[in-house]
Amino acid sequence: MYFQGSDMHRANDYVVETRALSKRYGGKVAIDQLDLAIAPGSIHAIVGANGAGKSTLFRILLGFLPATSGDAWILGRDCRDLRPEDRQRIGFVNEEHTLPGWMTVAAVTAMQRRQYAAWSQPAFDEVIGHYHVRPTQKVSQLSRGERAGFNLALSLAQRPALLVLDEPTLGLDVVAKRAFLETLLHSNAVEGCTVIYCSHQMEEIERVADNLIIMERGALRNVSPPDEFRARVAHWVADIPFRRPDPRVVPGLLDAQRIDGIEHYLVLDQGDGFADFLRASGARDIHRLPVSLDRAVNGFLSKHHAVPTAA
Amino acid sequence: MARTQALPIQIATGDSRPIGKQIVDAVRLRIATGELQPGAQLPTVRGLAQQLTVNPNTVAKAYAELTAEGWLESRQGLGLYVAPPRQRLSEDERDRRMDEAIQTFVHEVAALDYPPERAMGRLDKALAVLTRKSA
Repeated sequence: MYFQGSDMHRANDYVVETRALSKRYGGKVAIDQLDLAIAPGSIHAIVGANGAGKSTLFRILLGFLPATSGDAWILGRDCRDLRPEDRQRIGFVNEEHTLPGWMTVAAVTAMQRRQYAAWSQPAFDEVIGHYHVRPTQKVSQLSRGERAGFNLALSLAQRPALLVLDEPTLGLDVVAKRAFLETLLHSNAVEGCTVIYCSHQMEEIERVADNLIIMERGALRNVSPPDEFRARVAHWVADIPFRRPDPRVVPGLLDAQRIDGIEHYLVLDQGDGFADFLRASGARDIHRLPVSLDRAVNGFLSKHHAVPTAA
Repeated sequence: MARTQALPIQIATGDSRPIGKQIVDAVRLRIATGELQPGAQLPTVRGLAQQLTVNPNTVAKAYAELTAEGWLESRQGLGLYVAPPRQRLSEDERDRRMDEAIQTFVHEVAALDYPPERAMGRLDKALAVLTRKSA
């Protein structure tokens, strides 16, 4: 059994790959036939509402949770078969920044240095240099932002091929957030490392992400550069003096609002042909407005929360 | 060799323009107004990305667009520089933008309640700068 594992190494270039991956908790579907392929290099942001299946996905990928069906690979290795040497190449930073509070910074650092074969002291020093953290301090004495920075420094010092960040800036103040992003974007220690960045903060995603992955109810809904996704969503404003069209027949509708008697439609994948639809519905004074990334993603994710009501 | 000129631009997240587009617009404006002179060196991709706290790939794409449009030119191994001016716009687009500029100007003048003759005199003087530049 043990030796069979080495044959499970896949000869492809993806950092993360899943095939028809599913996970059910009792009757509830957490991951639904997920086919995901993440190419190496660059920063991939994963967005999804609470319960979209992100945490479940990470647990399966890191080998902490078995899938119900389907397959998953990380760094070319079957996730059911991860070895310590695979784990050495994966850095993981979560929102809690859980580190032993009673240990000093120096002691935690020494422990990690012993555990990771590829440990890079220059990488650690460079990243920790962004923060006011002294080696003699106990972890429990660090602020949340300092703990986040320390955690990031430890993860990058192991020279991971893949760095998974699960809501790393949650609860950080503006200054600490900025320091964290700066390290992630500009530190030499990140060079050549694939980053998976899980966050709800669209402002950060707009700054850092090369690629935007949107998950919803355990399924994949979008994989593209953020600006390409943003271009799929448009905000149309129209004055429809008579009967408004039934929301159910509005093509690509994500969100509809009536403000001061004027109709506002947020729509997906509709070209300028949407103006024809509006005109045919008796609209006049039609405008198409671009939307921010934040609006595009939130409109997309809230679609299934909206209950269509007849006019 | 020319020193890198500071590029005092700002970007905003949550804007309806992507960050890359905001960078392109800001650089174009600075070149068009002469704040960035031909031959001036731009910050490195890494430098500007750091200044704005954005992904370096975003800056690289914006620079590539500006280079393709002829606003910037790269000198092998040295970096990016503001290209010597040449006509970058179609005749129609040029007219459209001129109309826009005139409209803006006229509205401002109207708000000031400034006598048109005096406005013309001052405009003549201001435009003389451009004649000297293109000569």
